[in-house]
Amino acid sequence: MNKILTGALVSITSIFFASTSFAGGHDSCGEITIAEMDWASAELIANIDKIILEQGYGCTVELIPGATMTTFASMDTKGVPDVAPELWANAVQTPLAKAESEGRLFMLNGAPIVGAGEGWMISTKIMEDNGLKTLEDVLERPDLFPHPEDPSKGGIVTCPSGWGCQIATNQLFKANDMEAKGWMLIDSGSSAGLNGSIEKAITRNEPWFGYYWGPTVLAAQGGLSLLNMGEFAGNDNWDNCLMDPECADPKPSGWVVSEVTSVVASNFIDNGPKAGKDYVAKRKFPADVMMSMLVYMAENQAEGEDAAYEFLSRHPEIWTTWVTPQGAALIKRAL
Amino acid sequence: MGRTDLRDFKKGIDESFRNFTREYGEAIENFFDPLLYFLVWLEKLFLNTPWPIILFVIATLVYLGSRSIKLTLGAILAFLTIGYLDMWDDTMATLAIISVATIVCISIGIPLGILMARSQRTQMIITPILDVMQTIPSFVYLIPVVMLLGIGKVPGLLAVCIYAIPPIVRLTNLGIRLVDKDVMEASEAFGANYRQKLIGVQIPLALPNIFAGVNQTIMMALSMVVIASMIGVKGLGVPVLRAISNQYLALGIMNGLAIVVLAILFDRVSQQFGKRLQAHTESSK
Repeated sequence: MNKILTGALVSITSIFFASTSFAGGHDSCGEITIAEMDWASAELIANIDKIILEQGYGCTVELIPGATMTTFASMDTKGVPDVAPELWANAVQTPLAKAESEGRLFMLNGAPIVGAGEGWMISTKIMEDNGLKTLEDVLERPDLFPHPEDPSKGGIVTCPSGWGCQIATNQLFKANDMEAKGWMLIDSGSSAGLNGSIEKAITRNEPWFGYYWGPTVLAAQGGLSLLNMGEFAGNDNWDNCLMDPECADPKPSGWVVSEVTSVVASNFIDNGPKAGKDYVAKRKFPADVMMSMLVYMAENQAEGEDAAYEFLSRHPEIWTTWVTPQGAALIKRAL
Repeated sequence: MGRTDLRDFKKGIDESFRNFTREYGEAIENFFDPLLYFLVWLEKLFLNTPWPIILFVIATLVYLGSRSIKLTLGAILAFLTIGYLDMWDDTMATLAIISVATIVCISIGIPLGILMARSQRTQMIITPILDVMQTIPSFVYLIPVVMLLGIGKVPGLLAVCIYAIPPIVRLTNLGIRLVDKDVMEASEAFGANYRQKLIGVQIPLALPNIFAGVNQTIMMALSMVVIASMIGVKGLGVPVLRAISNQYLALGIMNGLAIVVLAILFDRVSQQFGKRLQAHTESSK
């Protein structure tokens, strides 16, 4: 359904664009602002977008640092930045749907990273060692994940304050009756706290259990995998109860399918180059390629820009299919 | 430095830090365990005590500290408002960690300041360290601290103290150094030894400065509440963080103001207490 929607959007916008400015193309691009979110894969995509739009289509691109909520609010109310290359739509579902229906924001790409997912993650090794398979099995063993403040209880690391996943995690904690089963939440506070807790688990060879997402270097290095949390118990339960801290009787559920999207503001739709829009709609990073780039970034402590150049020179077979032949030639010359 | 050299250099540092945490992390964590349990215990005590009792204790402390009815009434009113606006639990959690942070900072800071005042060389060594502690962005040491100690109260307390301890050290040092040379000579003439000079002359005369230091330390500790919440410390910082990422203006301002109220109370009470202490020493001379 997403694909159809995206496809329809792209074709509508391209028709619209074609009818308004045939002269489009190289020179008409102008200035574009792209959100550079504060995690590695988003940094990488933002920088790749910048290079491709600048070198291939003659845009002037400014990267604006941001985080999901702040960037989305700014795009929704001010239309700036023009492009959010990797927006985790679950966190902003309702306002995003509203903005889309009112024509302020457009979801140009329904899945820029193939195979991205979030949810409760757990050390794979401890699962295998103890023959645990599902969430239910894990909940029986709070002793494997001692809480730092009260070792007699099990601890699950929740999502940073203010993230949508924090509400969901806390409600799922309630839904699975985890307090009675001897569990306590561990507040991670911020993404720095969350990452730090995994880093610590990695360096000390400790098991880790909490909310995280992939593909990420930390999840790979920490040997974390998504935990089977059971069947998804329907959108009504998720949207109206698990995402609402006031809801009193949440039901257990698998994590909602994560929608990682590229969202653009109406300004980009109206004034951006057609080829640029096609590019944003087309670019999809296979999971293994994204993972290898993230590992490259971690191993070399590379910034988004370095990694973007590395990707462009390492994987031309992937990105040339996203751009026009002329664009590809121009970008190759710039590398 | 070349690109690869620089990269290897950075990776080398990272790797050695990782090895260090692998080697000693657990031991360091165990070392801080008593502190952790004390923090947990204190927070639970604050949270589980019925609010009228807490309010009564706070009012009594404020009155004993300041001897001012006006300030005491103000404190009661402020805490009632906080409770009415449903920020009681967070405020208690913050109060717990800030009280402990202040005690830790003062009990390390004042002796350090005295040491610094004693010799020129210690001052030369400690001053740049204090400069680093005060100016280095806290985000820089958050991750190493978390890797070493995990998320939670102890690393939060450390982060707070790294930032909040310098003023008390600096001002204790300054206060003692500013004590009049003639007074010192006089005390020496009476045959006072080092300990007598320190406790009987230097510290009392340095009190105004020391109290200014205590005061600044408390203020800076409170300003770190939000940062501490970034590594999992419960309290008023958590709703502030939530407000930042969701643009909840009112929530942010309310909890921010609650931090301000705590700061003002700590400040006024410690100032008044300090003044009374000095008045006492002056009149007894």
